[in-house]
Amino acid sequence: MTGVYALPQPTHVDNTWAAPGLAAVLAVVLAVVVFALVLPARRGIRTPNDFIVSGRKVGAGQNTFAMVGMGLMYSTVIIIAGHVALSGFDAIMLLTAFTMSTVLAVLIYAGPARNVGGYTLGDLFAVRAQERPARMASAVVTLVVYGMFMIAILASIGLVASRMFSTSSPANTPFVAGMIALVALIAILWVYLGGMTGVTRLLVLKVCLFMALVAGLTIAVMVKYRMNPIHLLNDAEAQAAPNKRGDLLGPGRLFGTGATFDSNQDPWVHLSKIFSVAAGALGMPFFFMRYLVANSGRDARRSAGWAASIAVAFWQCMIVLGLGATAILGGKAIGSKWDTRDITLPKLADHLGGKWMSAALGAVALLSVAAIFAALLLNGVTTATKDINAARGRQLEPAAELKAIRRNVLVIGVVSLVLGTALAPLLTHIFIPASIDVGGTCILPAVVYSLFWRRFNTRGLLWTIYGGLAVIMFMVLFSNGISGDPSNAMFPNVSFKFIDFEPGLVGVPVGFLLGFIGSLTSRERNDAKFAEMRVRALTGAVIPGRKPAGTPAGPDERARENRTLSEAH
Amino acid sequence: MSPMDLAAKGDRYTAVYDSAQFKVLRRRSNTFLAWSSATFYGWWLLVIMLAAFVPSFFRVRVAGPINIGLVVVFVSLHLVVAISVVYLRFARTRLDPLSEQIRADLEGDLR
Repeated sequence: MTGVYALPQPTHVDNTWAAPGLAAVLAVVLAVVVFALVLPARRGIRTPNDFIVSGRKVGAGQNTFAMVGMGLMYSTVIIIAGHVALSGFDAIMLLTAFTMSTVLAVLIYAGPARNVGGYTLGDLFAVRAQERPARMASAVVTLVVYGMFMIAILASIGLVASRMFSTSSPANTPFVAGMIALVALIAILWVYLGGMTGVTRLLVLKVCLFMALVAGLTIAVMVKYRMNPIHLLNDAEAQAAPNKRGDLLGPGRLFGTGATFDSNQDPWVHLSKIFSVAAGALGMPFFFMRYLVANSGRDARRSAGWAASIAVAFWQCMIVLGLGATAILGGKAIGSKWDTRDITLPKLADHLGGKWMSAALGAVALLSVAAIFAALLLNGVTTATKDINAARGRQLEPAAELKAIRRNVLVIGVVSLVLGTALAPLLTHIFIPASIDVGGTCILPAVVYSLFWRRFNTRGLLWTIYGGLAVIMFMVLFSNGISGDPSNAMFPNVSFKFIDFEPGLVGVPVGFLLGFIGSLTSRERNDAKFAEMRVRALTGAVIPGRKPAGTPAGPDERARENRTLSEAH
Repeated sequence: MSPMDLAAKGDRYTAVYDSAQFKVLRRRSNTFLAWSSATFYGWWLLVIMLAAFVPSFFRVRVAGPINIGLVVVFVSLHLVVAISVVYLRFARTRLDPLSEQIRADLEGDLR
């Protein structure tokens, strides 16, 4: 198997932190617990509406935690801790950018998206644009993000497996590939059995465990410094490995000239990363499902607001953990390449809590990544079923549609599993920032224009979505995540890169510009549709019997509208 | 459903949109959103520009190990909480009662 199919070989590190046996036992226990939570959900699923959006009955509290859970992944928790430990202030800026993007959800996405209703972005686009092109645009952009994010997420299952469920270095390829396939298969089963109700419970469980673990570690760090952050900061600064670009607690380590390999684009490189994350992270299509499952626009907004506040507390713990790792483990223990940097949090957990803590972190990290894959898969399946059927003008009976959705979970899930496992040897982390760029470049302008701009029309939508996608794909192809960087690129041995900065910096304004020019060059203009969008987005009112912009109202749709109606009083 | 019906329903939305009540609602909502997002993202853009181009400013020590940069990060994080809390309160007290009423009128009429 080696040679043809071999994982990227990280720098040799003696793995002293992992407790594979214990972690495996805990992971199995967690998997059983999740099955126990997911299986009862199966009984409540009678229509596609139940499967995809839990009948829109997810309570505000539960939804809040699920929303927080959507933001916690391998990259935003495990990687960021190492990032902060190594690069201090500049990495803290990146982490802050994640919380900045949640403000977009609170102010713009959550309430209106739920008020307009539906199941996908296509339902929102179709209020303002012609039905079929709007549906296709939604399907294309959602599935592109699905494909990229899925590959990166399955790769992070591999990373968790090789770092926390195995102590071998070099990585044990058959073991890691097997783990990816196994965990993905279990996640597919969870989605198949429990639908959105199951995924929501999974996210809530994961976020509770993850937050408990992170809170425990944070308290352990703070206790070492007698609850005094000043001591912690002093010690972190004193212990940090020296860096000529700047001290740990000031800007420069990532902004400074020379921070990016073989590039003269600093400080734009790091600046663009921060900008793109703040503009795009919550724009990724799979986040929108969390608003659609809420009972009302008000509940969606409330959950998004609470989730943003909880996330702020969580990220502050991550800052403490990152700086704590530098202070406690010492700057020399924090590797400077991604493969030695990303193991900082597991090392710190092992140092503070011994093998139980390290095993718990491993098991929870695995659950966490699996939960993201499950939520992502459900979003991919929803758009593949709903948007594509609507674009083709096909209207299925609820029972047939539920069957089609379940079949798609298996088909898309298994294809993803095979693809994700096969691509594990490549460094595909670039797909995460690329998805975030798409969120900022395509979704943000399309949603903002749909909601607020009277003149917006079909051509504007198509130019934003397809033009934005093309711009991002072009720039990603020639970025240093694909080639030219020996330690981070997907194809490290060739170099055709000329872009080191994050494409979103250019993409976001270009996306807005394309939507603007596209709309103005088309003669289509529909004030009634704009009035409908404004009224629906602000009040959640639906005139019964009216199919949202051209879709025949199926029994399922009617049931939903009746329910919404009766809830209003 | 005939095209006539569809057009009639489109008119209903337009009629609500043009009503005095909805005008108040949308003005309130738009004003809040415009001001809050402009302030918030203006602040954030300023912060990242300063970090990138005037790093020496963020390195200025305030007290002990704490520098201006860390203070700014702390403020930014808590601005997220502040803006969420303020918006939730604003929407609950200033937007929801109006939108409830408009919705009830619109949907109630059709019973």
